[in-house]
Amino acid sequence: MEKTDKSLIDAHLQGDSEAFGELVRRYGDSLLGYLTKICRNREQAKDLFQETFRKVHEKAHTLRGSQFKSWLYTIATRVAMDALRKGNRVRMVSLNQQVDCDGENCPQLGALAVAADCDDPAQEAVKAENKQLVRQAVESLPDRQRVTLVLAYYQGLSYREVAKILDCSIGTVKTQMFRALRTLAQRLPDISGVAK
Amino acid sequence: MKRHLTEEELIQHQFKLASHEQTAGGWADHLAGCDECRQRLELLSQKFAALDLLAEDVPASEELIPQTIAQAKRPAPRRIIPFIRRYHWIATAAAVLVVGFALMMGSFDKFGAERPKSANKSELASKGKMDSLSQVEEESEVTLVAKDLADKEAVQLQEALLSRQMAGKSPAAPPAASPIGPADSFGTAAATRPDSQPQPDQYAFAPTAAGGGAAVTPVQVPALSQQVQSLAAESEDRRKSGTELASTVGVRSDAGEIPEKPPFAPASAIELVTLPRRDNVQLTIYNSADLTLVRERRNLTLKQSWNWLQLMWANTLIDPTSLSLEPAAQADKVDVQQLVFPARLRELGRWLIRSEISGQVPFEITYFTSGLSWRAFYMGTLSEDEKKMRLAGYVRVANGSGEDYENAQTRLLVGKVNVLDEIADLAKRQYAYGRPGMPVGPDDYLFIDKEVDEDSDGLALDRAVMVAGRIGDLRPKEIRKEGLSEYFLYTIEGTETIPDKWSKRLPSFDVEDIEIESLYKYDEERWGTQTIRFVSFANDAEHNLGDTPIPNGAVKIFGRSGGQNHLSYVGGTDIKYIPVGEEIELNLGPARLVEVEPKLMAFETENYVFDNRGNVAGWDEIRTWQMEITNTRRLPIEIEITRGFDTPYWTLQTEEPYEKHDATHARFETPLQPQSKKLLSYTLTTYHGRRQEQVSQ
Repeated sequence: MEKTDKSLIDAHLQGDSEAFGELVRRYGDSLLGYLTKICRNREQAKDLFQETFRKVHEKAHTLRGSQFKSWLYTIATRVAMDALRKGNRVRMVSLNQQVDCDGENCPQLGALAVAADCDDPAQEAVKAENKQLVRQAVESLPDRQRVTLVLAYYQGLSYREVAKILDCSIGTVKTQMFRALRTLAQRLPDISGVAK
Repeated sequence: MKRHLTEEELIQHQFKLASHEQTAGGWADHLAGCDECRQRLELLSQKFAALDLLAEDVPASEELIPQTIAQAKRPAPRRIIPFIRRYHWIATAAAVLVVGFALMMGSFDKFGAERPKSANKSELASKGKMDSLSQVEEESEVTLVAKDLADKEAVQLQEALLSRQMAGKSPAAPPAASPIGPADSFGTAAATRPDSQPQPDQYAFAPTAAGGGAAVTPVQVPALSQQVQSLAAESEDRRKSGTELASTVGVRSDAGEIPEKPPFAPASAIELVTLPRRDNVQLTIYNSADLTLVRERRNLTLKQSWNWLQLMWANTLIDPTSLSLEPAAQADKVDVQQLVFPARLRELGRWLIRSEISGQVPFEITYFTSGLSWRAFYMGTLSEDEKKMRLAGYVRVANGSGEDYENAQTRLLVGKVNVLDEIADLAKRQYAYGRPGMPVGPDDYLFIDKEVDEDSDGLALDRAVMVAGRIGDLRPKEIRKEGLSEYFLYTIEGTETIPDKWSKRLPSFDVEDIEIESLYKYDEERWGTQTIRFVSFANDAEHNLGDTPIPNGAVKIFGRSGGQNHLSYVGGTDIKYIPVGEEIELNLGPARLVEVEPKLMAFETENYVFDNRGNVAGWDEIRTWQMEITNTRRLPIEIEITRGFDTPYWTLQTEEPYEKHDATHARFETPLQPQSKKLLSYTLTTYHGRRQEQVSQ
């Protein structure tokens, strides 16, 4: 039987070294996806991923009753927002393009790589291109709106949970979400007819 | 609800962002009964479906997870919170106290200033030789009152105070480079803040004090037998130096040694506080490295003792690590021991000099500065038949160094100097002057300059030319050129005064009747369909040049038009450094009056080769080209046409002469009469596949 998040945290606090690793594995993909969508750089997302779990490890004793997932996302959001604030002051550009040209951050290479490995390369190339356009549209949103959208849409959290994570009212979350969607409605590509 | 829903309302409905009131207002009902709105909602949903393209999670790699776990288990780095942040309220309270105290003192000062002048006079007079500490506290008062003093001695004393204040020192300031710098002892922080640098009016005063050579002597520490001195000794020294300074100024004033010529009052920020004006200065500008070696000579008045000299370089681009001070005479009796950079005093250094003699000693100060640059310009004038050209060269020297240079002998180094890295290393070294015991001067880095100095005594020349300049020699100054390995040194004749932020253009050479070749070039791969005009000549004796390399710079070419010799602009380009003997080709840009139009007249394939399976394995492609060349100029021209074939396997059949330029290009060169057309035809055969092997065999 799978252990609950709470029991893993308790085990971690009791000194079970495996428990923390289990939590990282359980939420790793989802959290990395979340951070990657918020940040503009995958390498930065990995750094924030590590920083988030370092804080989880350090502050595990402060978790009181609330759900681990929203607590994790609260920490991740704060870490990411701090980084974004710093990043807005000093925009970091990766000099090691090889790292970023993996299809996520290098649209042309990504599209070609994906297209080369599938049955319908043309369709896949269009899809990869659309994916890049969507990413650009999401990245063009202000930080706060982007975080709200990612939490509510991609992470599937309720507006109440998002409000809790962002430490604001539900009304504020809805306002941010609405503004984000209104902007996206203008910027998203028309993908009708393209396999998702 | 009768009206259709707006897009914003549809978004709110789709993502459940609408308030209860809005929902209850009939949006759902309206959608249920309105096909149009439903369709729009569907389209909107499809649009937002694009967001799902990013929906997948990003898998955390197998490396990332253990790395994350390992890092999380590491102890967190301890955050160091600065005291001022942690106890910011203490800082706030302290600030309030300081401001309050300052306001209170201000009101006292105001009260003091309202006292009768006579009272101040008597107060000043009663002080006599002021106690140094009280002098510091009452400095502003003394300055204010001294303007009205009729007493000459008091005026002299005020001069001394002001000159000391300008230098960031008071008579009370320690003569030695003690940790308590002028800013600490004076309280004005004049030397520590860049914005409190001496103002121009103060400068006007300063050379008066300093210009007489003996006027303001270096601050002296009597009977200093060792460099290390006690604070008690410093206190004693302060009193003595203050007294000596006042008396010295008094002597100068009585002697009336004010220079006849108004002092050069630069807006510069470099100020050798206890040094007189420069006697002469030499600039060697290394343009390629934004580096200038400054060598200047000044006569210092030393006393038989230890002497401290203070140098400020605020607002200049001087590299302080390159500062070097050497006695130009009496070197065995004068010993420059160290250059000290006092703590908390920015852009300021002090030299400690041990002198066994008293009196004036010439010193040479060398340092590097950036901000001085030079650039060459050329103006070429073509003759009417465009077979000869007059070329005039100019050099523009610009000074953005923050320092005025008066009567500077200016030398310009042509060619790349490979010393930039070494200078950068110098700046990065932990010790400004290298390993202890091994003082490093600029000559150690710029051997080029050293060699040149051995060849020519630039400073002596400078003096000679200064004399010549005074007798009214108004001919254009010559720029003397000297070879120096692969470098070249241009020395501008005489001296130049180049104030900060000014630039000056000087003629470098003017050569008539340089034989040139005008050539038009057509090469689609390089310039597209445009014909480009070139003028070429060589930097050698045949072309009346070749004495010196030609520095890189901008060239503007003008042509003569009409019988009245009007000049018209033909074109311009930047040229690179041209050594002696090298050919120069000036690209003057597109030529409108000469056109080339290539046309493909025929294309066919032949000589097919098949492999064992019957597939085509090789073939020839034959293209027939016709090029129409039009010259609408009134002069005959020569045109060079380069054609590229994208393969090294080709043959050409034509009646026109051509040369194989390289493996894949052929080049035609043909003359064209004025206002004429010419057809140039050729048949090109290129070989492909196995035909390449057959042809090459």
